[in-house]
Amino acid sequence: MTTLTPTRPPGDPGGPGTPGSPETPGGVPRRPRRGTASRAQRTEAAALVIPATLPILVFSVIPLVTGIYLGFTNSTLRRNSTSEFTGLENYSRLLGDTFFWESFRIGLIWAVSVALLTLVAALGLALLLNADLKFKGITRVLALIPWAMPPVVVAIVWRLIYSPTAGPLNAGLEAVGLEGVNWLGDFSTALPAVIVVAVWSGIPQSTVLLLAGMQQIPIEQHEAAAVDGASSLRRFWHITLPALRPVIFAITSLDFIWSFNSFGLVYVLTEGGPGGKTMLPMLFTYLEAFTNRNTGYAAAMGNVMVLAVVLVLSGYLFVQLRRGKAVQS
Amino acid sequence: MIRNRGAAVVAGAFALTLALSACQQGSSTSGEGGGGDGGSSAADGDAVTLTFQSLAGQEATIAETQRLVDEWNTANPDVQVEIVPAAWDGVYDKLVTQFNGGSAPDVIHFEAAGIRPFAVDGYLADLTDYISEDLRSGISDGVWESVTVDDAIVAYPTMMQSYMVFANTDLLEAAGVEVPTGDTMTWDQLREIARATTRDGVYGLGWGLKSPTATVMSLGLGNDGTFFSGEGTDVEIEVGDAELAVPLAINEMATTDASIQPVSLTQSGSEVLPSFYGGQVAMTVQGSFQATNIAADAPEGFNWTVLPPLEGSASSAQSANPQTFSVNVDSEHVEESAAFIEYLMEPENLAALNYADALIPTSEQAREALAGLTADQPGWDQILASGENLTAPAFLKVDLYQQWNETVATPALQRYLAGEIDLEALRSEMTDGWSQVNRG
Repeated sequence: MTTLTPTRPPGDPGGPGTPGSPETPGGVPRRPRRGTASRAQRTEAAALVIPATLPILVFSVIPLVTGIYLGFTNSTLRRNSTSEFTGLENYSRLLGDTFFWESFRIGLIWAVSVALLTLVAALGLALLLNADLKFKGITRVLALIPWAMPPVVVAIVWRLIYSPTAGPLNAGLEAVGLEGVNWLGDFSTALPAVIVVAVWSGIPQSTVLLLAGMQQIPIEQHEAAAVDGASSLRRFWHITLPALRPVIFAITSLDFIWSFNSFGLVYVLTEGGPGGKTMLPMLFTYLEAFTNRNTGYAAAMGNVMVLAVVLVLSGYLFVQLRRGKAVQS
Repeated sequence: MIRNRGAAVVAGAFALTLALSACQQGSSTSGEGGGGDGGSSAADGDAVTLTFQSLAGQEATIAETQRLVDEWNTANPDVQVEIVPAAWDGVYDKLVTQFNGGSAPDVIHFEAAGIRPFAVDGYLADLTDYISEDLRSGISDGVWESVTVDDAIVAYPTMMQSYMVFANTDLLEAAGVEVPTGDTMTWDQLREIARATTRDGVYGLGWGLKSPTATVMSLGLGNDGTFFSGEGTDVEIEVGDAELAVPLAINEMATTDASIQPVSLTQSGSEVLPSFYGGQVAMTVQGSFQATNIAADAPEGFNWTVLPPLEGSASSAQSANPQTFSVNVDSEHVEESAAFIEYLMEPENLAALNYADALIPTSEQAREALAGLTADQPGWDQILASGENLTAPAFLKVDLYQQWNETVATPALQRYLAGEIDLEALRSEMTDGWSQVNRG
C-alpha cells in the first residue's frame, strides 16, 4: 500500500503542464499552492479526458443504455410510433415464448461447441506452427487467411462447398464411392455443418494468441523436463498447458461470447433453416425486430441474452479463478 | 475530491447535452422530413425529381423499365424520375430500414403480401383518389382488395405470377408420355407423368421448396384451402384437409413414388433449374416468370414446354399476390408519383413490362395487349390462361401473415417435407404457431 505514494516527487506536484494557471500567485506558502496546482492539474485532466470520453458516450454508452431501456417498452417500427414504458411485460411474455427458448437452446449448443472445437483445433495448429518445421513463414501466413475474410464471404464460399448438386465436397464423396449429403438442407447435418464453418473461420485468431502464448514459455523449462526424461506428451501436459491457461481462458470466453452473438455467418448460410434447426438467438431476435417490427420485444430478447452470457461467463470465471488460486498456493 | 467530482459532473452534463441534441436531430429527420432524403428535393429550377426503387432483376426487364422511364423523362421535363435499382432478395429488410431511417424512395416497387405491413404501420400514401376510372374497372375487385388496407388503396397492382409446370419434352417423349394439352391438368395427371418419367437416374420432378409456404398457400386455393378467414387483426386460422392437400400430395410424390428429386425440396426454385437443364429432372414447378430465364439460359437444343395449369379438387385457382407500385407517404410529391405510376399502368406499358418478365398483367386491357404481342410464342398461351384463374387469397388481408409465414409455416412445412413430422403435427404446429404469433 505505502509503496506507491512516496514515489511521486514531492516538489513537483504540478508536473510540466501547469504553466498558465492564473490563480497561482508566486511565493505563497506550500500547502495552498499544492492545492491549486493539483486542482489545475485535475481540470486539465478533465479537459483531456472529455474529448476521449465523448465518442464513447455518444457511440457506445448511450446506444447501449437506449437498447436496454427499449427492452422495457412496447416500441415498434411503426411510423411516428410512440413507445410506452411497460415494465416487465416483455419478459413475462418471453417466458412463454417456446420459439425463443428453442433458439436459445440451439444457441448454447452452437456457442459451446464452436468455442471448444475452435480451441482444440487452434491448439493443434499452434503446436504445429510452433514446431521448427520447414516453410514456417509461409505456413504461418497461410493459417491466417480465414481471418482476413469477412463472415459473409466465408459463408458464401462454404455454401458453394456444401452445395448438394454442384459442390466439391459431394463431388469428392461421390468420387470415392460414397453417397453425397445435403449438408445444409438435411436436418441432422445442418447445425454441425455451420459449426464446422464457424470453427474454420475462428481458428486463426485463437491460433495466433496461443502461438504467442507458447513463445512466452521459457525454453529452459522444456529442456530441463527433457533432461529429466519427460516425454513430449508429458511436457505438453505439465509445462505448455499450464502456462497457456490464462490465454486459453481468455479465448474460450471470447469465442463463446462472439459465437453466441454471431449473426452474419449463419444468416447467409442457412437463414436459420431448415425447419429452424440453425435458428440462433441472434437470428431470432433479428426476425422479431425487422420482420415483425417489434423492436421493444426484440430488445428484451437482447437483454436476456446479455444476462445469459454474463451468467455463464461469471460461472466460468469463478471456477477458473478458484482453480488458479489453488494452483498458486 | 469534491472539485474533481464537480468537474466530472460538468463534463458529463456537457456530453449528455451534446448526445441528446444529436439524438433529437436524428429522430426529427426520421419522423418528419422522411421523403426528403430520398432525393425528392427540387433539382434544377422547378423540376421535381422522383426516386423510383425498381426491383427489375432480369436483363430484359431492366432495359424495359429504363426505356419507359426515359420516355417519361423526355415527355415530362418538370418531373424527372430516377431509377434506384434494388433486388428482391432482402428487399423487405431494406424497406424497413429505409422507412425508419427516413430515406425511402418516392415510388416503391414490391408485392401485395410484403407491402401490407408497411401500409398497416402508416408508411404508404392513400392512392384511392389518384386511380383512373379505366384502370379501376380493368382490374378485378379481388385484386384491388389485396392492396386495400383500412379502406385505402395503398398500391397499384401490376404483375402477377402463377406456378407453372415446365417440362423437358425430350425426356417426356423418351418415357413414352404424351404432353397433356387440355385447358388444365389434374394433380393425378402430374403425379402420373412424374412417375413415368422417373427412370434411369432421372427424377420426374424437381420442385424448389426451400420456402414452401408461398407455393402451398397459392396452389392450395385450387382445393379451396384458404387457411385464414377474417381481416386485419381479427383473423381465424383453419388448417383442414383442403389446406393440407397440397403438402400431402407433394409428400406422397416424394416418398411413396420417389418421383421428386429429394435435394430439390431444400433448394430454391432457381437452384433447381440447372438440374432441369442438365436432364436430371424431367419437369420442374416454377413461377411463370422463369419462362424468360429458361428461354435465355437453357442450353442449345434443349426442348421444353409449359404444361397446362394445375387443377385442384375444386378449381384451378391460384392466389394472386401481385407485384405493386406504392408511394411513400412522406414523399413531398405524392401526386406526381401517382401520375408516374398511372403512366406505367397504361396498357401498352404494363404489357411490355409483363412481357419482359413473363408475368401476367393485372388489368384486362394490358392482358389483351399482351396476348396480341405474344400470339406465336411458346408457353405464353398457357401462362396467360393461368392468369384467368388468379384470385385474391384470404392471407393477403391478414396483418400478421408475413410473421406467421416466416416464423411458423415455413419451418413447419420444411420439417414435414423432410419427413421429420407427420401431417397431424404439421396441422397443429401451424395452428398453435398462429396463436403464438397472433397474441401480441
